[in-house]
Amino acid sequence: MIIVPLIILIIPLIAGAFYKSIKNASVAGAILEMIMLIPLYFSLNYKGFFFITRINFIFILMVSSVYLMSLLYSRKYIEGIENRGITEKNYYLLMNFFYISMEFALMVNNYGFMWVGIETTTISSALLIITEKNDASLEATWRYIIIVSAGVTFAFISVILIYYSFHTLEVTAIIYRSSTGDLPVRLAVGIALVGFGTKVGVFPMHTWLPDAHSEGPAPVSAMFSGVLLPTALYVLYRIYEIYPMPEIFVWAGTVSVLFAALFLTYQHNYKRMFAYSTMENMNMALIGIGTGTYAGLVGSLVLLLAHSFGKAGAFYSTGEIMKISGTKDINNISGFMKNKIVSSSLLISSFAVTGTPPYGTFFGEFLILYSVITIHYYAQFIIILISIFIAFVSINLNVSKMIFKGDYKYNETNGSIIPLISGIIAIFIGIVFLVIINEIL
Amino acid sequence: MNIIYTLIYLISAVLVITGFYIQGNKYLRSMVLTLAFQSLIIAIIAFMLGMMLKNYTFIILGILVIILRVFLVTYFLIKRIPRSLSYVYEPRVSTTYLLILDLIFIIASIFIVYSISFIKIKTIIFPVKNIILFPLLLFFQGLFLIASRRRTIAQILGYVEEENSLIILGTFLLPVPIIIESSVFLDVLILVVIFSVISIEKNVHERMEELRG
Repeated sequence: MIIVPLIILIIPLIAGAFYKSIKNASVAGAILEMIMLIPLYFSLNYKGFFFITRINFIFILMVSSVYLMSLLYSRKYIEGIENRGITEKNYYLLMNFFYISMEFALMVNNYGFMWVGIETTTISSALLIITEKNDASLEATWRYIIIVSAGVTFAFISVILIYYSFHTLEVTAIIYRSSTGDLPVRLAVGIALVGFGTKVGVFPMHTWLPDAHSEGPAPVSAMFSGVLLPTALYVLYRIYEIYPMPEIFVWAGTVSVLFAALFLTYQHNYKRMFAYSTMENMNMALIGIGTGTYAGLVGSLVLLLAHSFGKAGAFYSTGEIMKISGTKDINNISGFMKNKIVSSSLLISSFAVTGTPPYGTFFGEFLILYSVITIHYYAQFIIILISIFIAFVSINLNVSKMIFKGDYKYNETNGSIIPLISGIIAIFIGIVFLVIINEIL
Repeated sequence: MNIIYTLIYLISAVLVITGFYIQGNKYLRSMVLTLAFQSLIIAIIAFMLGMMLKNYTFIILGILVIILRVFLVTYFLIKRIPRSLSYVYEPRVSTTYLLILDLIFIIASIFIVYSISFIKIKTIIFPVKNIILFPLLLFFQGLFLIASRRRTIAQILGYVEEENSLIILGTFLLPVPIIIESSVFLDVLILVVIFSVISIEKNVHERMEELRG
């Protein structure tokens, strides 16, 4: 049924039409989007202009949930910003366009339009980074635009080569056809890794990622980390399906996870720390997909699902900390134990994104490591294992310092409940996913 | 080889020369106009192929390039260059040094293109297979321009140059459906508008302490 995906894309546009009351209209639209997931589930396996499967349904669920939570969290957060680069109304308008472009890239049944969707996410989200306007956020916006656009432009060569090889760009027409792996097809898949990999955060094209995440407002960082990067990963996965090249993908992911872990060891800005954690998690998911095994794919999906809620919670928590302390420096933050809500949400989210049991990220990482072993990539297995251990220690050590060390020097003893809810969802969603996996996959 | 094909082959070489000219230039207005000329060459190639192959897709492509790239993109970029001398001219850039670096980079690019056998891809439209070397070299020149300059506008030019190279690559291999090509053009146009909005606030890009690590 083409009508359901169309309605999903139109709702935020209608919300945008109520410009005067866009703040409330956007939230109402986001709630409607969540309701629309029910009819969407019943129109799975639709193939036409859109292509809805159980796999991209999970991605759509992630995007809609984090979008709703970000809009709810934005209501107070954006009001509190003094030097705004864009008006509050334009902020909500851009958030709606950002959401539409992600959903479009996830649902469309055409590699060319997927590219357009991914490029549109850059257009719609770039100005969101300067919501809190200062010199650093302007520079971060610029780096985001120029690095990601240059990378995604490179990915267009991949689209050209797919069309050259198959004379069509329709996803369903290509992935169900067995490819012989001719030179243009192999080049298309390899170039997609570099091109779309820029948006996924594959080393060394990841450089925009810590800048944009650290300078953007907390709800936007949550959207970037929780759902934008997975959306780009989904497009990369669809191209990978044409002709799997496990060696290149698993190595690219392994090297990226290693570097992310090394970068994490010397971070003193908590937002950049969580940005590098995103790089680590996205590349773990890339490895899972790259192995080409069922366990790897399931591992990646459960990791991404739990990570989206966990990381959203982590970034909302950083928004609270920033609001209370006025600094992003880990060394200047102390004694947050006194603020029960913020410290709980930060701790829960931090565990969620570092793969602590029983979070979904733990099971996801476990399945991914298992899939790496099953295809006999022992060197990669050891590097990944060491890297995720380093990342785990680095992040949790810094978070512990912020919560348990020193005295609480601030007056505020309350905080938003949304980060806590997001973190708690991250605990359950992975387990629920694994329990009902046979029903939904 | 048909005379038109020979002509297209020669004109394509001019694309790479315009890339070198932009790289070796410090004057922003002149750089923007050279880029417009580069887009015009692409439109001419599309028209020539369209007339020869009697394929209207190339004609539409050529018209789109002229409207969106030659006029609109150039308009938005030129509008952002104030008449004061400090903006017209990009200081602290050694063009001779950059041009030599660009040449080295291009030689390395040719090596890459040949080593990954990219050049072995046969074009469906054009009878000479190594024609795709020109758009690929233009692509690398665009990348180098982004990496080598600090001014916002110079980096935008590098990005548009990259996009130009992809239009011509697609034209030589097999043009993607025009509806997708049009969406790509519009995406790029909006990005150029955003670029120019940001360039009002931030004109030069240097290292920042807040963004280290």
